[in-house]
Amino acid sequence: MSIDYAGFRRELESFVRSACPPEIRAVVAAGQKITKREYQAWQQILNARGWGAPSWPREAGGTGWDIRQRLIFEEVMAENDCPPLYHHGLGHIGPVIIRFGTPEQKARFLPRILDGSDWWCQGYSEPGSGSDLASLSTTARLDGDEWVVNGQKIWTSHAHEASMIYMLVRTSKETKKQEGISLLLVPMDTPGITVRPIKTIDGWHHLNEVFFDEVRVRADNLVGEVGKGWTCAKFLLERERLPPANVARLELMRRQVTQLVEGASRATAGLRDFSGLHHKLLMCEADVKGARVMMAQATDDLIHQRPLGVQPSVIKMTCADVAQRLTTIALDAVGPDAAHRFLAEVGDDVPDATWIQNYMFTRARTIAGGTSEVQRNVVANELLGA
Amino acid sequence: MSTSFPSLFPGMLLDAASRYAEDHIAVQIQGDPVRELGWTATLVPEEAGGVGGNLGDLASIVEGLAAHGLQLPVVETCAVVPLLLQAAGAETARRWLEAVAEGSVQIAPLTALSATPDVDAVTARHLDIGYELSGAVQGVDATLPATHYLVPAQVDGDDAIFLIDAERVGAPRARYRTMEGRLGADFALAQLAVPESACIARGASAHDARAKATDAALLLTAVDTVAALATLIRQTVTHLKERRQFGVALSSFQVLRHRVADMYVKYLGAKGLVIHCFHEHEQAAPDLRRTLRLAKVSLAESARACAESAIQMHGGMGVSEEVLATRMAQRLIASEFRYGDRLLHVARLLAPQACAPQVSLSNQTGSVR
Ligand SMILES: Cc1cc2nc3c(=O)[nH]c(=O)nc-3n(C[C@H](O)[C@H](O)[C@H](O)COP(=O)(O)OP(=O)(O)OC[C@H]3O[C@@H](n4cnc5c(N)ncnc54)[C@H](O)[C@@H]3O)c2cc1C
Repeated sequence: MSIDYAGFRRELESFVRSACPPEIRAVVAAGQKITKREYQAWQQILNARGWGAPSWPREAGGTGWDIRQRLIFEEVMAENDCPPLYHHGLGHIGPVIIRFGTPEQKARFLPRILDGSDWWCQGYSEPGSGSDLASLSTTARLDGDEWVVNGQKIWTSHAHEASMIYMLVRTSKETKKQEGISLLLVPMDTPGITVRPIKTIDGWHHLNEVFFDEVRVRADNLVGEVGKGWTCAKFLLERERLPPANVARLELMRRQVTQLVEGASRATAGLRDFSGLHHKLLMCEADVKGARVMMAQATDDLIHQRPLGVQPSVIKMTCADVAQRLTTIALDAVGPDAAHRFLAEVGDDVPDATWIQNYMFTRARTIAGGTSEVQRNVVANELLGA
Repeated sequence: MSTSFPSLFPGMLLDAASRYAEDHIAVQIQGDPVRELGWTATLVPEEAGGVGGNLGDLASIVEGLAAHGLQLPVVETCAVVPLLLQAAGAETARRWLEAVAEGSVQIAPLTALSATPDVDAVTARHLDIGYELSGAVQGVDATLPATHYLVPAQVDGDDAIFLIDAERVGAPRARYRTMEGRLGADFALAQLAVPESACIARGASAHDARAKATDAALLLTAVDTVAALATLIRQTVTHLKERRQFGVALSSFQVLRHRVADMYVKYLGAKGLVIHCFHEHEQAAPDLRRTLRLAKVSLAESARACAESAIQMHGGMGVSEEVLATRMAQRLIASEFRYGDRLLHVARLLAPQACAPQVSLSNQTGSVR
């Protein structure tokens, strides 16, 4: 039976317009930081409708939608100022558990991701292991039926509000550095875990250091085989780099920034020269159109189970680049008024200042989840050989 | 390494400011260091009890502070204030400049950090018993306490400067942390009545003083940018040499080497441009303002590119406020928006009147078609 995609889009549109609370849409529309509150509330609403996990197979509690339906879903969400789905559970660890987890792990963890009761964070990076993730040194040793974890993670987004962390740990030092790594699921309230905030340039709190001191974890919280965590990690990273939401959100951001530039241009008519910004906006518009086709092609390859090759890297780099250019245009448009009113201490926030925070935050798009330099190495290796 | 970044304005003032900044970067600003250290006396003439120094001296202080990332409103307090005060009649000017040099008053400009002192945010009406001031001034530096404000304003088509008690101005409407970590405030003057004597200058003298203060602010902000750039690059070089990934120092990756080389090339260009601006300022060159606007636009481009590069090359550390390079990057981007952003200066550079001298130069016969 062929799917009526236009009808599907209409169904989604009418649902999100009536079901997504206006206060949540206002946060998204204004480009403000989306916090656990908005993510979680929206997740619960979607889940109640049976749409909690658009990208999961039906047997795991997902929608079973095809890829085109998932793309339409992301577009409708972005067009209607709904929050994206919270990535760490639904987009990252969920699919890994579905692919590599035991039936018991699936039953224990997946429903809690779906209904928003578990909030996950990612413990990959360490102070000495960033781009070279395989050099990580946080250890887990088996003691009876428990793993005992010691070490430190860094740049852990949302660790301060997460209930679970999925983390890479070294379970053996004897083998090659990629081997001997395992993927462990750890409740954040386990004794011995300390979370310390990192102050970042955008004025928002999202990054943390996480310390592990003799943290005891059930042995059956290890996903896949001991020492084979790298395979799971790579599977996960590929999904991290290819979220369909990225492209849909870029179009939303482009519209927001265009409005912002038009407003600022009217407000300071004649006093400031906006021609350069208009030009840059046009180039972003073109690049978003290009990125949509790239995404569609990658999607097609996923549908037909063809290898993705360098596409996740290329799409990640492109999206990061366009997002940075768009927020830079926004910075130029509002900067003079907002730079000196960055964070309110007494009085109201300046809405435009949020765009400066967005500009700062977006610097991380070319760093987090694999830096653009590392992605370029991936592409260059494909073209030129390693 | 240090030889690659020789100081722009070396000397004792630079050393003292550097030392102060280094010692105080990690602590909350207490009291009023700018006045306690006597820096407000720098531009005040000797006959008014000041040091009788020049912008080069102030530039040393600005450079020393910027090199270590300390934020203090030196440009506002030590350049804009005395230059505006000098517009007053001799007696008034001397009295207030003396107080500024001594540090017995704390005068701050009531101007938006984003606008030059020759822009009017406030208009005044002349009444029988004095003046009435109205206007909104947003994003004023409020890092240090103030007993008095200098308020540039427009009175019946005339430029004017008012000196008003801080108490009379009242509390700000809102307070902010600025992008670079200073304190900012929004003020609203609603038909604020002030005595006749509050208007310390009007007409040509006020106009000239506001123009001078604008030139000085643009020039010193450019110095701040070049000094911050030097530190940014130095920190980035150190990071690339020390941080190891894949078993090697980051400095062995060619893409990063080229990126830091590009930063250095931009830095040298920026430095050359600032030195050129200083020469023009010393010689009171006729198109000084045009050069300063050009510098503003060009430095904004270079500074932002370098700031973004440094953040990127620091990886996760690049977004952490704990890291000096990150704070320098923030400072560089914030400085772009001080005293007019690049869109404003480009508009002025491209405005028909700004091109007029060029037209006559290229048109050797002087005929106008
Ligand atoms: C906002 C944000 C959120 C994050 N969230 C998480 C999270 O939730 N969980 C988590 O585990 N991690 C997270 N990270 C960490 C992120 O994955 C790392 O920052 C990233 O992998 C880069 O590592 P690094 O910071 O150690 O930089 P480094 O690896 O030290 O890199 C520094 C610079 O060197 C360059 N470089 C490194 N290797 C090479 C090479 N071979 N060739 C050329 N250039 C190279 C890099 O591109 C970069 O410019 C987050 C980071 C940020 C900024």
